[in-house]
Amino acid sequence: MGPGLDEPVTAIGAPRRLPGPLASPALRLVARRLLTAVPIVLGVSVLTFAVLSLIPGDTAQLLLGPEATPEQIAALNQQMGLDRPAVVRYLDWLGGAVTGDLGNSLVSGQPVTDELGSRLAVSGELVGLAFVLSLGLAIPVALIAARRPNRLTDRVSMLVSITGLSLANYVLALLLVLVFAVQLAVFPAIGFVPLEQGLGANLHSLFLPALAIAFPLFCFYTRFLRGDLVDQLHGEDYITTARAKGIGPWQVLLRHAFRNSAFGLITVVGLNLGTMIGATVIIEQIFALPGIGQMLLSAINSRDFVVVQACVVVFAVVAVAANLLTDLLYAVLDPRIRYGDG
Amino acid sequence: MRTPIPRFLAAFAALLLLAACGGGGQAGQGGAAAGPPQRGGSITVLELNSFAGAWPSGLDPATNTTGGANLSQMNAIFGGLFALTADEDGGNARVVPELASGYELADGDRTIRITIRDGVKFSDGTPFDAEAVAFNFRRNITSTCTCAPRWPLAEQNGISVEGNSVVLRFTRPYGAVINSMVVSNVNWIASPTALQRMGPEQFKITPVGAGPFKVVSNQLSSELKLTRNENYFKPGLPYLDNLTFKSVGGDQPAYQAILAGQAHAYEGMNTTPLIEQAQANKQLTVTIQPPTSPYLIQLNTKTAPFDNQKAREAVYYATNVDAIRKGLFKDWYPAAQTFTGPGGLFHHDTIDGYRTYDPDKARALVAELGGLTVDLGTLKSYVAEQVMTALQSQWEAVGIKTTIHSDQLNALIGNFNSNKWQAMLQTAGAWDPAAGVGVGFRFAATSSFSGVSDPALDDLLNQAAATVDPATRETLYLQAGKRISDNAYAPYILAFAPANVTAAGVHGPGLTTKIPPVLVNTGVLWDQVWTSR
Repeated sequence: MGPGLDEPVTAIGAPRRLPGPLASPALRLVARRLLTAVPIVLGVSVLTFAVLSLIPGDTAQLLLGPEATPEQIAALNQQMGLDRPAVVRYLDWLGGAVTGDLGNSLVSGQPVTDELGSRLAVSGELVGLAFVLSLGLAIPVALIAARRPNRLTDRVSMLVSITGLSLANYVLALLLVLVFAVQLAVFPAIGFVPLEQGLGANLHSLFLPALAIAFPLFCFYTRFLRGDLVDQLHGEDYITTARAKGIGPWQVLLRHAFRNSAFGLITVVGLNLGTMIGATVIIEQIFALPGIGQMLLSAINSRDFVVVQACVVVFAVVAVAANLLTDLLYAVLDPRIRYGDG
Repeated sequence: MRTPIPRFLAAFAALLLLAACGGGGQAGQGGAAAGPPQRGGSITVLELNSFAGAWPSGLDPATNTTGGANLSQMNAIFGGLFALTADEDGGNARVVPELASGYELADGDRTIRITIRDGVKFSDGTPFDAEAVAFNFRRNITSTCTCAPRWPLAEQNGISVEGNSVVLRFTRPYGAVINSMVVSNVNWIASPTALQRMGPEQFKITPVGAGPFKVVSNQLSSELKLTRNENYFKPGLPYLDNLTFKSVGGDQPAYQAILAGQAHAYEGMNTTPLIEQAQANKQLTVTIQPPTSPYLIQLNTKTAPFDNQKAREAVYYATNVDAIRKGLFKDWYPAAQTFTGPGGLFHHDTIDGYRTYDPDKARALVAELGGLTVDLGTLKSYVAEQVMTALQSQWEAVGIKTTIHSDQLNALIGNFNSNKWQAMLQTAGAWDPAAGVGVGFRFAATSSFSGVSDPALDDLLNQAAATVDPATRETLYLQAGKRISDNAYAPYILAFAPANVTAAGVHGPGLTTKIPPVLVNTGVLWDQVWTSR
């Protein structure tokens, strides 16, 4: 016998009744995800370390340049601890990482965590602003387009979306700089103004790079959401029922169709987080932003394995956290959803 | 090392030409200073993140492993015991004393006495004297940086202090010691007091020198903010109040940042379409530096096919240098037939008997060899990749089957170390062929990056480095160039040098005037850079 209409639906089997704070399904989900996050992050760190170890070339050789003698290379490798076996180096790094010490840069000798903090703030702001821009623009445009499909507004939005999807981030970035920084002189071409110097100046310095990341995503989200909304509006019984009750078209769109389409949108937003992180690496180079992407690329170029490892682990943690947030949002949007423990 | 990103940006630059601003006008002619220099102002200088814009190990002369690339940052903070200067057109290039007041060679060029300028102070107010210089010499020669000097120091009393002079004693004559100073870390003298007070880990972030500027903040490989050193030894200098170096991802974003007014100078541009566009913009000054290190095709004479001189000659005859110079680079860069460039010492445009383009002879040699297959590599960079692609088509036209690949520095070094490489498009030479990454780097039998093992050539190069007399050195280098040509060790292409792009109103020696590059880029004299903006 199936559950009643007002009974919680379980994904797999019946929920175990746990005492205390973990009785809440949402908290159980968080706890379970945090537990699964550990092997994921650990796996990423092992994989990263293995890949970095397999890359041909030598950190010392790269640092010293092509003129270096074998003696100089050996001395620097010893100085950096790179003459030890890879497993020993990894375990040494891991031992520090679990206590919050991500080690010292092989190249600068500075603690990685010192620099990660400030750079993470820059990249976090950049990704956050790109996220707000992409969704903040995509949702209203998709709603307007879906409201009257195949009309001028819809066709224009689809044309813009297709064009935007075909543009690479770095090409778009250069075009944005050319138009808005060089020709119109309304935004800076490079550089970052910290938040301490004022929110306005800070956002002004980040707008173009954020737009360069956001625009292709805006195009993708617009197309996806518009398509899903049109399907909902023209093929679902609950929409027909809502219309029969005399509910206005915008209310049908927002309270019924969009609410259902939001599930799919949340999924694609979560899946596109990797795209956003990848884009920051290139965009930070173009706009000379002192973010984690710039730090990562510099570390890759100088074979600074410790810094690369730290950056990748940070990205892994962010990805895991974003996935968790996505799942929680499902529960927020649909109270009927409950998660089993299986 | 180059990342793929600048390459993408360079490729895209040509497309942007259609949409970019910058109308017609006279080509920027760097060097003509508009009126007397002015005090004050601030400028931002951009550096490429894969070369001068990367200082991952900090800016302590003894521990900066990329010191050779970071000439500008190091010179701005530490100045130099000596500096390379030149007339505005790049001619009459010479090394002059700066923080040193002079030097003298003795004992058959085995001993050099460097006199330190009196009354100089570091920016922290402590005395800049011979003891401080000797301390730095001892510290810097042990550095793992390739910019550390290779002094043949005597074991006893190799470095000593006598009054306000530092005396270096060598085991053999070393005439190129002063010319090589300007490309080595011993030219940069750090404050021993500040080093002791801060400790090496902090000192590499906020180093203290006696140069025209002092450090305000330093985010490694990202941004270096400097301000005027009030203790600088030259009255009235530096002109600028503030100087900022920023790392940027490529020629295109750097160029656009200057157009947008967010930066005022960019060192080392080599994307030809952008240089051309910048030259047409009245708001910019483009200064193409006098070339010192020509591109050449290194041939590995230790392995097939180039252990056979006929195969080497075929490559000489198959290479149409003029087509490359004119077709790809607008005739900007002169042809080369030896390891010197017009901006360097002991230069000769031509070498007697040098084999030039002759496709019929190339075809005949290829036929005689029963075919010729070549693997040609280079380091990832815009100019090198353009030249390499042209070479492939030229060689294919005479029947030489050619595969090409451009590599990151690490892979390139691996290829050299494997000794299985066949042909490599590289640069060779330096302002003084014996200084820095000089001619021996590409041709000496002892170098890992040479395809040649010729004791007679080694002997010529060693003799030329040992002597001080310019006439003798010129004769020896001419003989070395002739020997390389006669044995067909490496065909030369063109003498390339990067360009500096500056916004209108910014002036300075090495920035808007010509000074021969000492190591890829020119050593800008930052104390004399000024702005009217």
